[in-house]
Amino acid sequence: MTNSETKKDINLTLKVWRQKGPDVKGKLETYQAKNISTDMSFLEMIDVVNEDLILEGKDPIAFDHDCREGICGMCGCVVDGRAHGPEQGTTLCQLHMRHFSNNDVVVVEPWRSRAFKVIKDLVVDRSPLDKLIQAGGFISANVGGAPDANAIPIPHDTAELSMDAAACIGCGACVASCPNASAMLFVGAKISQLALLPQGKPEAAKRAISMVKTMDELGFGNCTNEAECEADCPKEISITNIARLNREFLKAGLFSTVAK
Amino acid sequence: MPLDAKIPDGPLAEKWEKHRFELKLVNPANKRKYNIIVVGTGLAGGSAAATLAELGYNVKIFCIQDSPRRAHSIAAQGGINAAKNYQNDGDSIWRLFYDTVKGGDFRSREANVYRLAQVSNNIIDQCVAQGVPFARDYGGLLANRSFGGAQVSRTFYARGQTGQQLLLGAYSALSRQIAAKKVEMFTRRDMLDLVLVDGHAKGIIVRNLVTGDIESHAADAVVLATGGYGNAFNLSTNAMSSNVTAAYSAYKKGAYFANPCFTQIHPTCIPVHGDYQSKLTLMSESLRNDGRVWVPKDPKDKRSPGQIPESERDYYLENKYPSFGNLVPRDVASRNAKDQCDMGKGVGETGLAVYLDFEDAIKRDGKDVIEKKYGNLFQMYEKIIDSNPYETPMMIYPAVHYTMGGLWVDYDLMSNLPGLFVLGEANFSDHGANRLGASALMQGLADGYFVIPYTIGGYLVGEGSDKKISIDHPAFKEASEKVKTGIKKLLSIGGKRTVDDFHRELGGILWEYCGMARNDEGLKKAGTMISELRGEFWENVSVSGSGREFNQSLEKAGRVADFLEFGELMVRDAFSRKESCGGHFNEGHQTEENEAKRDDENFSHVAAWEFTGVDSEPALHKEELVFENVELTQRSYK
Amino acid sequence: MNWLFNTLWSSIGKKLFMALTGLCFCGFLTTHLIGNLTLYAGKDAFNSYAEHLHSLGPIIPIAEMGLLLLFVIHVLTGLTLFYKNFRARPTRYAVNKNAGGRTIASFTMPYTGVILFSFILFHLLQLHFIDKTGTTIYEIVSDTFSQKSNVAIYCIVMIFVGLHVSHGFWSAFQTLGADHVKYTPFIKKLSLLLSIIFGVGFGLIPIYISSIL
Repeated sequence: MTNSETKKDINLTLKVWRQKGPDVKGKLETYQAKNISTDMSFLEMIDVVNEDLILEGKDPIAFDHDCREGICGMCGCVVDGRAHGPEQGTTLCQLHMRHFSNNDVVVVEPWRSRAFKVIKDLVVDRSPLDKLIQAGGFISANVGGAPDANAIPIPHDTAELSMDAAACIGCGACVASCPNASAMLFVGAKISQLALLPQGKPEAAKRAISMVKTMDELGFGNCTNEAECEADCPKEISITNIARLNREFLKAGLFSTVAK
Repeated sequence: MPLDAKIPDGPLAEKWEKHRFELKLVNPANKRKYNIIVVGTGLAGGSAAATLAELGYNVKIFCIQDSPRRAHSIAAQGGINAAKNYQNDGDSIWRLFYDTVKGGDFRSREANVYRLAQVSNNIIDQCVAQGVPFARDYGGLLANRSFGGAQVSRTFYARGQTGQQLLLGAYSALSRQIAAKKVEMFTRRDMLDLVLVDGHAKGIIVRNLVTGDIESHAADAVVLATGGYGNAFNLSTNAMSSNVTAAYSAYKKGAYFANPCFTQIHPTCIPVHGDYQSKLTLMSESLRNDGRVWVPKDPKDKRSPGQIPESERDYYLENKYPSFGNLVPRDVASRNAKDQCDMGKGVGETGLAVYLDFEDAIKRDGKDVIEKKYGNLFQMYEKIIDSNPYETPMMIYPAVHYTMGGLWVDYDLMSNLPGLFVLGEANFSDHGANRLGASALMQGLADGYFVIPYTIGGYLVGEGSDKKISIDHPAFKEASEKVKTGIKKLLSIGGKRTVDDFHRELGGILWEYCGMARNDEGLKKAGTMISELRGEFWENVSVSGSGREFNQSLEKAGRVADFLEFGELMVRDAFSRKESCGGHFNEGHQTEENEAKRDDENFSHVAAWEFTGVDSEPALHKEELVFENVELTQRSYK
Repeated sequence: MNWLFNTLWSSIGKKLFMALTGLCFCGFLTTHLIGNLTLYAGKDAFNSYAEHLHSLGPIIPIAEMGLLLLFVIHVLTGLTLFYKNFRARPTRYAVNKNAGGRTIASFTMPYTGVILFSFILFHLLQLHFIDKTGTTIYEIVSDTFSQKSNVAIYCIVMIFVGLHVSHGFWSAFQTLGADHVKYTPFIKKLSLLLSIIFGVGFGLIPIYISSIL
């Protein structure tokens, strides 16, 4: 059944983090979001607030967003203390206003981490995640030399496990929701995806050592196995991947021939 | 002046190999002396930059988003085609080539499409080597599915996230080259102009979206992989930042824009539900493999779908096209949905939707099987619409999804401006008037991994050699001054309408008059309306903030300003093509059965437009399409 | 040996220390609890158990030194990680909400850790580093638990021990990478069971002793 019978408009009070730039002090400011259709997404709700702000000659709320279908990983704010808001397995762009009630007060904050500097308002610099991939989140296979795609069979279940980890959209919600602002789930997902596949094994040790080293240097916190990342991950990536990262790293550091 | 696509001589199957042999090679030691700019980090741009860097070139790559991994290729769901014939069902390079030319309604270039089919197999090999976790059978071999009107199973997929996985593959290859310092990455940059020196593309002007700085970058060649222009329609399945500005700035510098009216309207999208809506969501058309499309027979029938008995349902695709049924190509499926809604048989609150019903499939295969195949899509649908597709039929409606038109390129993927290469959706070359499902990913990666690495070398040591330019050249200063003036102008208007408001109106005009069906009268009207809207935009738009800061309002304003000019070009192209083909359906040119009627005698050409000034008519150049290997037929999916 | 330092000094290496030392403590607590169970058999049984331990010669001092080393590592590494984690988020959130992963045990690890640290010092000063001439260990224990305040402190602290172990035990396996779809659920259950055994097992002793006085 559709929700047409229950459809209604709601009014909200938003408390949004406003910060002009990286080195400026920011604070929460209050805005009214009026006549918000419950069919809107959270970002469309901010669009509406912003259009009003622009017409009033005020600075609209800066926020990152792009595909608005939950796959690009560009959007993300902490809404009422939850990365990407209260719905499980949902990016902010896919969070619909039907999950809010009339007259709710909603607090919207940017991802908070030493590694992610605020650029403006809700926009943060997530380039450290790119640096992690550059540290080894790849298989060194130049174009031209690949063998036939079916040359190495990969068990169905292994491919599926690898895909579970590969589903990461790199939004940074794991870092944002981790009590320690740790990037272990992000790194674990990439390490797992590649370590599970036969193609990724030749570089597995080097990759694990290099990615963990970079992760530590970038100022992320440490994992204390609290699983908040898993609970807030819009792709519901499991902390099993963190265990695999630990295993891969210790194996590489203590028993591989890669010396670093 | 007729356009020369520089297609190599010889038999179709040997053209590419012969051409590769004839292309001049760049001495390995000299490659590091060449700098190449790549704009866009999607499948085409990302793969091109990585591969060029692997070869030894110095690459500078630019993207709008905060990371190269976010380019909109990531949103492609269904899969990627290749002529592997792993399923032993009669596929071949020739069949993939033929299907693509036919699917494109015979408006693409034979030689390009054949090359695409040839390299399709290498793409799969490369992606597997990179760690792309494609779906596999229990024996460990790669799985395939049939997709989007193909009668063979040639589509490789990674759940419903194939685009994401392929992009992450290209992104990882790119990241490796960034770490090796062969690629310099510039994120949050908007390309605002192309710089020409003596007619050759030698650099770009970008705006740093964080600081607002206008930056100049020089190189020996420029590669644009900036995607399509579907967002001209405002509501499309494209990402919010997808835009035409980079391609349009090249057009304004003299690059020809080919077939802008060829836009693809995808049949299986989630229907529009409000004015505030910012974008449309596509659901993979693999859904049509098991879902049955229907509307009530009686337009007055407003019962809920479960209450409408079988005998009172019109399975219009199955009835009209018995052999292809629900799997007809995208343009046919979309147009038929529109026809049904125009007849008043549309469903849902707006009457702009048709049912896609899985009841029979669930009965036949069981809920588990359907869930395994489409679980994530059903979940996505339920999230947005708040209705459970296992119980109630989905509602779908077509939405703008892909643009076949783009900057004109020759066989080497070089535009008419020497040194300017255009890849992926941004060029026009391979899909003719309609793209087949799972072919966009194939084309993006073919261009980036397997075509540009060869062809760019030919330019660099050929006509492009001995033209080293730095950003001190006056052409850079001139271009960046022009960009700064444009920004100042936008900020100084201080009007009363928001940028989004203008965009919505432009989108409405294009959707109404230049959407799934067009006619001469409507197109004429649209041209006038857009021109007036553009006039109002420059007098009444409200853009907040300044140019020297992170300013999303300003970014959007620049993009919409270009869409407003580009919209007119689109409408003009549609008006001048007096035939129907693929995504371009002119109501004045249809068969008795309401199918697209081509005019091969007069319109078997690429329409490439040359900019002559904002307010003057563009000049039309034609590239005649020669079909030596396939016979032009009326497409029939009956 | 640079590789060894780099591995062990990394964030995961530090957690490896936490995991291994933590598991050793679980082992120690198990033997400690088994030994203490002789209290239920009465004064003589407990005293002879103590005497038997002391007759083992140098093993006991060596074990004590080992425990001390583990203790220092566990505490110092824990503090280092706590400090680094605190620093990793310079600006805190205005609103914090549990997403569903955290438990009371996981959330309070550093705090229960500090409490246990203080308690262990207190416990050792009270029962270990004292003049044992002319008395027996049983008498010392019963003297201690003749005070209601001591009984209360020991019982309350044992709840913290249970909490600390319930997260720490399975967490150690996760850190070691010992995760398996077939065994991890068992480890998590074992973690809970162990925490109850430690909490209840140690917690009942003071109550029992004070009740028979």
